[in-house]
Amino acid sequence: MLKKISYAVGALALLFGLWGVYVRLFEGEQSANYGSYIGWGLWVAMYLFLAGLAAGAYMLAAFEYLFNVPQFKGTGKTMLWAALVTLPAGLASIGMDLGHIDRIWKVYLQPNFNSFLALMVWGYTIFLILIALSLYFAFKSPEKAAMKVVMWIGFVTSILVAGGVGFLLGGNAARLYWHVGLLPVQFPVFAIASGAGLMLLIVGWFMSNLEEKQRSDLLWTLAIVTIATSVAKLYFLVADYTQSLYGGVTDNLIAVNYVLNGPHAFMFWGVQIVLGLLIPVIVLAQPKLAKNGFIAGLMGLFLLIGYAAARILIVVPGQVAEMMPGQAEAFVGPKLTLAYTPSLMEWSVTSAVFGFAILGILIGMDYLLNRMPRSTEVKK
Amino acid sequence: MTEANLLQKYASEVFAGLVAPVAELGISAAPAADALAKEDVLVRMERELKRALEKPASERRWVMVIDLRRCIGCHACTVACVAENKLPPGVVYRPVMTEEVGTYPNVTMKFLPRPCMQCEKSPCTEVCPVTATYHDEEGVVVVDYEQCIGCRACMAACPYGARTFDFGYTYTEQLPVFDGAIVGGENAAGYEHASQEYGEAWKREGRHESPVGNVRKCHFCLHRIKDGILPACTTTCIGRATYFGDANDPDSLVTELINKPNVIRLKEELGTEPRVYYIV
Ligand code: SF4
Ligand code: SF4
Repeated sequence: MLKKISYAVGALALLFGLWGVYVRLFEGEQSANYGSYIGWGLWVAMYLFLAGLAAGAYMLAAFEYLFNVPQFKGTGKTMLWAALVTLPAGLASIGMDLGHIDRIWKVYLQPNFNSFLALMVWGYTIFLILIALSLYFAFKSPEKAAMKVVMWIGFVTSILVAGGVGFLLGGNAARLYWHVGLLPVQFPVFAIASGAGLMLLIVGWFMSNLEEKQRSDLLWTLAIVTIATSVAKLYFLVADYTQSLYGGVTDNLIAVNYVLNGPHAFMFWGVQIVLGLLIPVIVLAQPKLAKNGFIAGLMGLFLLIGYAAARILIVVPGQVAEMMPGQAEAFVGPKLTLAYTPSLMEWSVTSAVFGFAILGILIGMDYLLNRMPRSTEVKK
Repeated sequence: MTEANLLQKYASEVFAGLVAPVAELGISAAPAADALAKEDVLVRMERELKRALEKPASERRWVMVIDLRRCIGCHACTVACVAENKLPPGVVYRPVMTEEVGTYPNVTMKFLPRPCMQCEKSPCTEVCPVTATYHDEEGVVVVDYEQCIGCRACMAACPYGARTFDFGYTYTEQLPVFDGAIVGGENAAGYEHASQEYGEAWKREGRHESPVGNVRKCHFCLHRIKDGILPACTTTCIGRATYFGDANDPDSLVTELINKPNVIRLKEELGTEPRVYYIV
């Protein structure tokens, strides 16, 4: 039942999304709400989220293939597949954000390696190849040395690319809200945390083929990972925001106040903190609830929504402080504003991206992974 | 007739018109004779510009100096820049920030024109994944519209908010059609002239052709400079608050000005080394 609903949600999301994709590709970017002062919006945030999710999923696959954690046995391929789907979804999201997507090849053939963006495009491309290779070996010869080598390279790459997107923002010295040493450090933690959310969702809702004991042990392990990473995340947030508020530097105050009391404060308090952190932590701290597939899956979903919101609340507030005070009033024109709420077209494109990801993961699990022998069976 | 001569001619005509009625009263509002004899800074700067152009490009160091004490916040430079570069709605290279200082009755206004700072250590060029924005051989930060992928990383990196994105707007697209009277957006679009930036004609055709989808910025009017004409903001500034020239020329006006102690650059602490100086 849950799977059917998920298929339907994925299909509807994709359907609604096709409109946005059409408008974006054929009519341009005028119906987007990002502009010249807040130049990076929902799509960039969702790129960070989905790319982080792919990195996190990969890290969790390593729990089976590199660290041989017994509870994770038989889940590695699914997580690798999830990574293989969410990464292109993230790249599609950032691709839509480019004014000239037709020139993307230039980043490969004429790159400026001083640019972190170029490094990231290369890094994620290599990571995508590594995911595909890992999956290939996972099917073919998971016990062979080649698999281990690829997985180790992939594991290290996943940490680097996850941290790299943090640097992509944090490297901008003029944006004080981003320019904190903690930012790139947070991202790999966010990645594994969101990966755990995805895994809770997948294992809780769709992996009834796992043996009952292993499944409940795995859910409990994921619950502990979630609680630990959520505490870490909360600590980062408190440290970052109190330091900013205490320091009182204008641009930082503007950004933090935007998060805490701004027009989208609900996104922070309601979605990121209550839905995405407090509820999952409280629920998953109860072993009985954490081991219940439906509840664990639901908490996984809440976590993912929370982390997606968190990414928006990193990307957008970093741009709300004017680089030159009075700039927004100095010249009037379309898209010269400091207000940002994603437009319907932007939501639609994001909906397509998520529709693709949901259907991709489900179809893969149903028709690709389940047809192949599981790694444990291969061993037998 | 050179631009300098033209300027003198029109300036004196305008003054004549202004002072005529006053003259009847026997009071002259015309500048004193010696002031008239004094050379307009524009004339001097244009002469210096031509001198600089005789040197190899790499030996010039274009800088802009803005005297904040003389700026009256008229926005003429902003508008001149829009007109010169045919900037579409939503794209601006040189806004003038206005700040109200003090409390009533002790209030005053401060104005800050902000072109691109043409930073020597420019964060915007560092982040560009495809080297679409870079220093040309004269050190001016330019954008290669055909190379830019429109990622807006440079916009995020610029500490001065000096870059805006071209979303493809035109001034005439909303125009209604009214037979025989109003041609309508589609036809009127043809009246929007091509920008001549970087010495090329950038027509606004469709929603996908560069510079649509690119980040755009002030380039010190390079296309004018190469012909020996000062940037549009400089010639238009009615307060003569904007100066332009070669800082490698020890005798130039700008060198004279930036060597004074009352000169600042914005956000020096970021180490961007701007080529725009402010006299305060
Ligand atoms: S002011 Fe901004 S756009 Fe201009 S050179 Fe400096 S960083 Fe680049
Ligand atoms: S928007 Fe264009 S010029 Fe700016 S960083 Fe991206 S590719 Fe370079």
